[in-house]
Amino acid sequence: MRYLIGIGTYMGLDDSIGLRIAEEVAARGLDRGFRAIELPGNLLDLLHYFGPDTADMLVVDSARMGLAPGEYRFFSPDDVVTRKSLEGISTHEGDLMKVFELARELSVTVPPVTLMGIEPATIVPEMGLSRALEERFGEYLAAAAGFFGAERAR
Amino acid sequence: MLQNVDIDIHHLTRVEGHGNIVVNVTDGTIETCEWQVPENPRFFEAMVRGRHYSEVARITSRICGICAVGHTLASVTATETALGIEVTPQTRKLRTILKHAENFDSHVLHVYVLVAPDLFGAQSVFPLIPTHGEVVVRALRLKRLGHEWGSLIGGRTTHPVTVVPGGFTSLPSAADLAALRERLLGAVPDLEATVETILSVADKLPAFDRPTEYMAVHEDGQYGLFTGSVETILANGDRARYDIEDYLSITNEFMLPQSTAKHTRNRLRSYAAGALARFNVNYDQLHPEAKKVAEALGLAPICTNPYMNSVAQVVECVHAVYESIRLIDELLEDGLKDEGLVQPTRFGSGISAVEVPRGILYHDYSYDENGLCTRANCIIPTNQNHGNIQADFEDLVPQLLESGASEEDMALKLSMLVRAYDPCISCSTHYLDVTFVR
Repeated sequence: MRYLIGIGTYMGLDDSIGLRIAEEVAARGLDRGFRAIELPGNLLDLLHYFGPDTADMLVVDSARMGLAPGEYRFFSPDDVVTRKSLEGISTHEGDLMKVFELARELSVTVPPVTLMGIEPATIVPEMGLSRALEERFGEYLAAAAGFFGAERAR
Repeated sequence: MLQNVDIDIHHLTRVEGHGNIVVNVTDGTIETCEWQVPENPRFFEAMVRGRHYSEVARITSRICGICAVGHTLASVTATETALGIEVTPQTRKLRTILKHAENFDSHVLHVYVLVAPDLFGAQSVFPLIPTHGEVVVRALRLKRLGHEWGSLIGGRTTHPVTVVPGGFTSLPSAADLAALRERLLGAVPDLEATVETILSVADKLPAFDRPTEYMAVHEDGQYGLFTGSVETILANGDRARYDIEDYLSITNEFMLPQSTAKHTRNRLRSYAAGALARFNVNYDQLHPEAKKVAEALGLAPICTNPYMNSVAQVVECVHAVYESIRLIDELLEDGLKDEGLVQPTRFGSGISAVEVPRGILYHDYSYDENGLCTRANCIIPTNQNHGNIQADFEDLVPQLLESGASEEDMALKLSMLVRAYDPCISCSTHYLDVTFVR
C-alpha cells in the first residue's frame, strides 16, 4: 500500500495545509493507486501506517524551512534536522521527527518516506489558509498527487 | 513546611493544548493557587450557522482530532433529534462499537503515553524504550487496534465519513466484523498485561481524596454513552437524574478571570466528568470482566481520588472490548442489512449528550424548514472539568505544604493531577521546523 498522509491542525491556519491537501485529494478522487489519510491531533497514529506492507509514504505538512511563504519542497527525513525542542512526544505539540525517532528506537519497519514541506505564511489559532497558500492550493494538489504518478513511472 | 513556593508551569506538557499551573506561597500564606487556561475560543458554533444539516457533522468533527468520533456522533445525534429521525437498532449498535473504539484509542494513548511516564519517573515515553520496551510496544499495539477498530466502522477514525444523519453511508462486511471480533479477543492478553503494569506502579498514584459531584450519561440497560439521561452522584451516593434537554441548567456555564475557557457547576461549586465519573455513576452497568479488573486495581465506587481517573480508563478499555464483542455477536446473528438512511420527518431543535473520552459532550442545534442550521451550541467536557481541577488544587496545595513536600514534588503532583483529567484544551500546532543538512 502507498499512502499520502496529511498532518497538522485545522485550527492553525497554514498548519492545516497537509490535512487540506489529503482531504481534497480524496474528495476529488485523485487518490488512484494510493490512499490519502488526514492525521490531525495525534502524530503517533502515523506509526500505524508503518510496516512491511507499506511500499512508500508521502507526508505533507507545513514546514518552516527558510523559504518564501507558499514555496514547497520534497525531501527525505534524513535531509533535515529539527529545530524544535520538545521534552518528548505528546499528542498535540508534536514533532514528526520524534515519530521517526520513536519508530527507529522500537525497530518498527519504516517505509521509504518523502516529506512535502510547504512554507507557511502564518500559523495562528484560526481556521482557513493564508492567501499565499490558498492561491497555490491547486498547485500543491497536483504536486502531491503527481508524486505518486511520477513514482509509479520510475 | 515550605514557607515560600513559586511554581509557574507555563504550558504544562503531556496534555492536549495549553494550560498553566501557578502557585505562590509567601511566608507560609498561599497567595495564588490557580489552574489557568489561556486558549482562544474557536467559534465553531458560528461556522455551522447557515449550513445544511448534512454538512454540520463534517464541520464539527474538525473541532478535535482525538475526539472526532465523539463530535461526529454528538452532532449527528442532535441533528437526528431536531429532524425527527429515529435510527434503527443496527445503527445504534454500530455507533456504540465506534464510540467504544474512540474511548479505547484515546484511553490507551492517555494512560500509556501521557500518564505512564510520570509513574515510571520519566519525562516521556522515549526514556522508557530501553527500560520498558515491551510496555511501549504493547501500547502501540493496543493503540493500533483502537485506530483500526474505529476505521472499520467509521470509514476512518479521525473525522469518520460513514456516520451521517439517518444511519450509515456504508457498512462493514460480516467478515470484517468477525475479523474485528477475533482481534478484540486477541487483545485480552495485552489488557491483562496492562493491569499488571498499572499494579506495578500503583503506589506512584498519589493518595488524595476530595469528594465532588460526578456527572455522566446514564442508561439503565447499559453503560451510558450517547442515549438516555444525565445522572450525577455525590460521594454519599445521593443521585440526581436530568433530561438531556435540560443541559444548560445542568452545566450552568460561567467565566473566571484566570481563564479564557468557560467553567461549569451543578449541585456543588464544580463537578467532574470523564472515566471516573462514568465509573462512579454507571458501575452497575459495567461488563463483568471490567468489574473484575476494577477490583484487581483497587477501584470501587464511589472513588473520590481524581488521580484514579487513569485507572478508570483502563477499566473502560476492558469494558469497551467485551461490550463490542457482545454487540458484534448480536449483529452477526441478526445479519447486517443495508437499511438506507432514515429521512427527516420535521425540522426543529435537538440536543445530544455523548460520552467522549474526557466526559460529556453536548451539541445543540436548530434547523429551519430548508434544513439549514440557524443556531448551535457545543459544550465540551474539558471545560466542565476546569472548575474541579481548580477546587482540587485548593485542597491539594495546603495538604502538600503540610506534608513538607518539596517545591519540585508539589509541581509534579499538581502536573499529574491535571494530566489525570486528560484535558483536551485545544489543538496546538504540528508544523515542522527544520534545517537542511544535505
